[in-house]
Amino acid sequence: MSDLIEVRNLGKTYRKATGLFNHKEIIALAGVSFTLQAGETLAVVGETGSGKSTLAKLLVGIEQPDQGEIWYAGSQINCSEYRKTNQFIRYIFQDPARSLNPNQKIAEILHAVLRYSTVLSFEQREQKISQTLRLLGLLNEHANYYPHMFSGGQLQRVALARALILDPKVLILDEALTALDPSLRAQIVNLLLELQQNTGIAYLLITNQLRLVRHFADHTMVLHRGECLDYGPTAEIFANPAHEFSRKLINSVQY
Amino acid sequence: MQLLDIRNLTLELETPDGIVRAVDRVNLSLKEGEVRGLVGESGSGKSLIAKAIMGVLHERWHISADRFSWCGEDLLRLPYRRQREIISRDIAMIYQEPSRSMDPTAPIGEQLAESVPDHLLEGVSWWQRGYFRRKRAVNLLHKVGIRDHQAVLNSYPYQLSEGVCQKISIAMAIAKDPKLLIADEPTTALESTTQAQLFRLLASFNQLKGTSILLISHELETVAKNTDTLSVLYCGQLVEAGDTAGLLQNPRHPYTDALIRSVPEFQPDLGFKQQLYALHGSIPTLQHLPIGCRLGPRCPNARKECVKTPQLERQQSHFFSCHFPIQRSSADE
Repeated sequence: MSDLIEVRNLGKTYRKATGLFNHKEIIALAGVSFTLQAGETLAVVGETGSGKSTLAKLLVGIEQPDQGEIWYAGSQINCSEYRKTNQFIRYIFQDPARSLNPNQKIAEILHAVLRYSTVLSFEQREQKISQTLRLLGLLNEHANYYPHMFSGGQLQRVALARALILDPKVLILDEALTALDPSLRAQIVNLLLELQQNTGIAYLLITNQLRLVRHFADHTMVLHRGECLDYGPTAEIFANPAHEFSRKLINSVQY
Repeated sequence: MQLLDIRNLTLELETPDGIVRAVDRVNLSLKEGEVRGLVGESGSGKSLIAKAIMGVLHERWHISADRFSWCGEDLLRLPYRRQREIISRDIAMIYQEPSRSMDPTAPIGEQLAESVPDHLLEGVSWWQRGYFRRKRAVNLLHKVGIRDHQAVLNSYPYQLSEGVCQKISIAMAIAKDPKLLIADEPTTALESTTQAQLFRLLASFNQLKGTSILLISHELETVAKNTDTLSVLYCGQLVEAGDTAGLLQNPRHPYTDALIRSVPEFQPDLGFKQQLYALHGSIPTLQHLPIGCRLGPRCPNARKECVKTPQLERQQSHFFSCHFPIQRSSADE
């Protein structure tokens, strides 16, 4: 069976002008490779500036890679085919309150997603929306609400609905669980785990919370200054991290 | 010695829809040299309590308390100027998001020098004061573990990372040797290696100088590791308080129990990718608070009696307010 996502030697360098003719190069990501199977979770940990978010942006096509290839289910993805790839790789931002348009009702937000990416008719879209809302434990009436009428946990569910409405194969959670309160976080984690069991969706979990990584992720990757220091099964990485930096990171959360 | 002793603190806000009681009869006490954690979810009134202690709440808030004593003096009954004097001498606070609570238009050195109190400079002739202030600022930076002081003193807040900013705000707070340091979510913006450093720093101040610390956070696991005693708030009500270790081992209130069980770290026999324990429903908004015990609608063992607010019960040093506390320990015995 081929891998759901295979990333080979992915790299990204940002150029920053420091004068009229000079520029400084910042290597955000230097040759990272990994694979992701269906129904699996890969956690990406590292400090700020380690290239975690750059990796996520490259995968969804917000940024173009300078080197390397992304393969999805046996075929290579080009950045120009963003419309095609955004159906199976979806992205959730850190703060749902800021990533949803406050001027639009939930129904409008979800309709827009379907209108851009599918050929469904209005009735079919309505049906799909109510189906997705119910899947995430929301009610049909919630479609007529504005984002500010929801509490934090519910908003995160709406953000999840926006991502899941296209039935993606991969979901990228960029610090999506960090800002939530503990009891709400437990609810969302349960929801994600349930979804993974039922639909075989794969997660790319970008986070600072190593406790969650340990519970949630099958594989872990430690990034530091754009380089991949450790990559392997979570239990192995936590038991004996290969690199000095990963050891420091893991020891900072004493068990 | 009892440093801070608050009984039945109530904070109310008048809104067009009536009075909102954001904090409902909360007790809080702190001994000298104690590290107390204050845990609760967003909207539970943690920051409001901290601001009430600092006396920086907006004047629209009505503060009332049976007792609000600081070192034996009731702060609420003192004249305003005297109140400010005591608070500015003894209590310091570290705010959330350090880079935002600093002045963006002044370099760090200037802000730090400003925070050095005047009484430390008594006996210094006026032409030397500027020099002493700067020297003291450098000293403070060294204390919080910043070695490269020259670069930091000359930079503006936006040029520094969040972790360094947090250290600087701690340096400002300890400039006057406070008796109580209130840390309001000090680690939310930081990553785990910096977090560990920061807690070590706070612990060292607690041990070397005997500073009491009130650590406010919504992450139970970080608070549990770094505190002696713990108070748990839910929607402005104090649900449980006591020794951290005892409380974690033997929670009596269903909410505390749910908090502990929702953290994978405290559940050693939880299988990989197993469902976590979570209360259903979400936190009510302040306009629609349930009557009686505010956990009522979400509580797994709520009964008819729960529409009355439970009294705070005491078992040795362990306080809880629940009509039907969890009886785990007696079942084990």
